[in-house]
Amino acid sequence: MIVEGSIALVTGGASGIGLGIATDLLNKGIKVIIFDINQNKLDVLNKNFIKYNVDITDYELVQETINDIIKKYKRIDVLVNNAGVIYNEPLINLMNPSNMKHSYDNFKKNININLNSVFIMSSIVIEQMVLKRTKGVVINISSISANGNAGQTAYSAAKAGVEAMTKTWAKELGAFGIRNVAISPGFIDTDSTNEALNSQTIKHIKRNTPLKRLGEVVNIAQGIVYAIENDFVNGTVLEIDGGLII
Amino acid sequence: MNEKLKKVLADVFNLKENDINKDLTKDDVSSWDSLTQMDLVTSLESEFYIELEMLEIASLTSVKTIIDTLINKGVNLDS
Repeated sequence: MIVEGSIALVTGGASGIGLGIATDLLNKGIKVIIFDINQNKLDVLNKNFIKYNVDITDYELVQETINDIIKKYKRIDVLVNNAGVIYNEPLINLMNPSNMKHSYDNFKKNININLNSVFIMSSIVIEQMVLKRTKGVVINISSISANGNAGQTAYSAAKAGVEAMTKTWAKELGAFGIRNVAISPGFIDTDSTNEALNSQTIKHIKRNTPLKRLGEVVNIAQGIVYAIENDFVNGTVLEIDGGLII
Repeated sequence: MNEKLKKVLADVFNLKENDINKDLTKDDVSSWDSLTQMDLVTSLESEFYIELEMLEIASLTSVKTIIDTLINKGVNLDS
């Protein structure tokens, strides 16, 4: 379905994997709308992107912004739910005996950023796809951590939820020709990976990845194009992880 | 330094045994975090047949405190 003139919306598209995806789609002749919470990063982007400074956990703001986009551009063909934040905190921290438990506030905050935001974006955009009879595709960026990763209770739970929503919506919306696909990256060489993990951990990950390296942003962008172009792919979680199993 | 303890620490923190010495603290070892602390506790308990109390676990932030704790638990580290 990838055709010049299609309209794609990429959340968290001003840096890292999101920017790689957005750039790849732009180069294929697609009109790309970027949502990002970081105005400074939006300011320095290629002028061919349509840019919105949006907090995607703010339901009302997302609704207003999508209404504005529909008014201006008529439809959205592709939604890439990429925005998210890697977060590490063990359930029990032996190094902090006076307060060992995972913070409940941090848990809720991370579920809000990594799971609730996907619900907010998708429900609002898919409503427009149904109203406009757009045979669109929603691509949710999950993570290898959806399988459960030590030290990532909130992040793993959120990403497992994202995969469950993907499969649910694939079943609910297939009749409308709206497809839902998840992409589950392994460890990708981005600033956020390098900020979240120390060098020792990254070495360990490389050693345990059959391909012995981190993935590149372009590998994820290639998965996005595959999910858009192959219109019999629906409810699938596409793993792009170099063969790593956690 | 006790060879068995060196091996435990090298395994837990993914270090070379030659890099382990008495002056090492958690600030010197990037892999010494809340998750490897759990490995450290279970490895020390199983290798040296001891059971650590919460306060002892909290004190394990350097090789020196690990050695002191093991000695206090009656472990002979002379060999």
